[in-house]
Amino acid sequence: MTPELDTETRAAPNYDDQFDAIVVGAGLAGSAAALTMASRGLEVLIVERGSSPGAKNVFGGVLYTPTIRELTEFDDAPLERYVAERRFSMLSRDDETAVSLRPGEWHREPHNDSYTVLRGEFDEWFAEQAVEAGATLVTETTVTGLVRERGRIVGVETDRPDGTIRAPYVVLAEGGNSLVSEGANLKPTESRENVAVAVKEVLEFPDREGVIEDRFRLVDDAGVSYHYFGEGAVGDAFGGGFIYTNEETVSVGVAYRIEDAVAADQSPEETLNAFKTHPAVAPLVRDARTVEYSAKTIPEGGAESVPDLVHDGGVIVGDAAGLVLNNGVHLEGTNMAVESGYHAARAIARAADRGRTDAAALRAYPEALEQSFVVQNLERYAWLMDAVEADRDLLFEELPRAFADAGTEYFRMDRQPKEVHADDAKDVVLDALGGWTGAAKLALRYRKVVT
Amino acid sequence: MSADSPTQQIENDSLEDRLYTVRYDDPGDSHLDVKVPEVCAECETNDCVKVCPANVWREGEDGVPQIAYENCLECSSCRFACGYDNVVWEYPKTGGGMTFKHG
Repeated sequence: MTPELDTETRAAPNYDDQFDAIVVGAGLAGSAAALTMASRGLEVLIVERGSSPGAKNVFGGVLYTPTIRELTEFDDAPLERYVAERRFSMLSRDDETAVSLRPGEWHREPHNDSYTVLRGEFDEWFAEQAVEAGATLVTETTVTGLVRERGRIVGVETDRPDGTIRAPYVVLAEGGNSLVSEGANLKPTESRENVAVAVKEVLEFPDREGVIEDRFRLVDDAGVSYHYFGEGAVGDAFGGGFIYTNEETVSVGVAYRIEDAVAADQSPEETLNAFKTHPAVAPLVRDARTVEYSAKTIPEGGAESVPDLVHDGGVIVGDAAGLVLNNGVHLEGTNMAVESGYHAARAIARAADRGRTDAAALRAYPEALEQSFVVQNLERYAWLMDAVEADRDLLFEELPRAFADAGTEYFRMDRQPKEVHADDAKDVVLDALGGWTGAAKLALRYRKVVT
Repeated sequence: MSADSPTQQIENDSLEDRLYTVRYDDPGDSHLDVKVPEVCAECETNDCVKVCPANVWREGEDGVPQIAYENCLECSSCRFACGYDNVVWEYPKTGGGMTFKHG
């Protein structure tokens, strides 16, 4: 690197005490916090390590937008498709048993606030909203640690020359790989039972006009969210596969717990390949070209894994705070990230009005979060992971097979009366469940997933 | 009609081609390391190798993994997978490392 270039790209203005708050990471939680604080008149600096917001970010992904819609003018957001169909499939080795929902309401604005997006484009747009509200964004700058005085967080260390930046408040929105929060002992490193590894491909279909609309039965900007469970999706691991339609591409991937990944006889990449070759999946993703291969980790520890959210001079939001819901039916993180950034920012704005930076003055953030859907949903399903772990063979292997076999029996075409087929179908399912008693117990155990 | 389910031929890209879809700016040195090589030499499970979606972690001859850090997708699964907490993981410096175009 030439000295001129060095100076040009690396010289940073002295930002010390120019800002009321520093946001670490320009993802959804960080930009939501920055946008909210800037709108309330605070001077905000967003520090992003990627070359642009979103450069280091990836998700499945469906973005849930009820809060974003409230925070900013949403009409020009770079959305791919609205979710018009949700499909839940159980895959055994070569069977599929699925439930599909296509409510008419989802075709109408605001489309149940569920859209596929690609994060490179979306996160850049969302960070721009924060900048337009008055926040300052610096990219290609990595926060390497926190500056503390007598325990209080008073700024961040970065990898820039003279890279210490001081400010009264720091918002840690660094994502699931939360090296800064962990390095500052604000949270422990999550155990591998509670973290999923996810791999995803973005596929395009060269020279095949209309192939996404045809394969997924779509018109205009309607799209699908397909979730897959069972051994045909991720082997005997605790997790699943997914397909989401974007405007011109399809996202396909798998996510399952690291605890299972290290015990499996195949790598995450091989698991993805196996999922893509399942007879119910392959016709949807064949003849494609991979335009991107990506990987990430997902914090899935639920309510018990959420760390202390406020500290003197600092708050933790989004994935860094473990705010992800995976109960098998609902896979949500983006909405919780935005909601947490919003509540953290409001608490900081109120503390700033009173000239306070202590943790007690920021308690409004966790209190608001506890009243919101974020913590309420996490707590509602806190029991679920343990239950699913205890029933994993039944839920991921035996039941998908039993439902497929029951369907096969029920619709069997031969010269036997239907009653025989119905009895055979019932027997297959009851066998898997351990009779009526087992079925009742299972229904009781999982009734709270849907009711 | 065959007795087996029809299997669709899926042409999956090689890992090399897949990684080629992600832009990479070499920050100059590795953002990954092991804390204590002797711990790796004693380790028999190689969980870092098994979990890695990008073939960054590879079994080394002396039992200490080789690290192809330039393959890294920065997912951090190795850090959680290691049962001995023996992975050094730092964010690549000043915008270096991988960039997702889509994400």
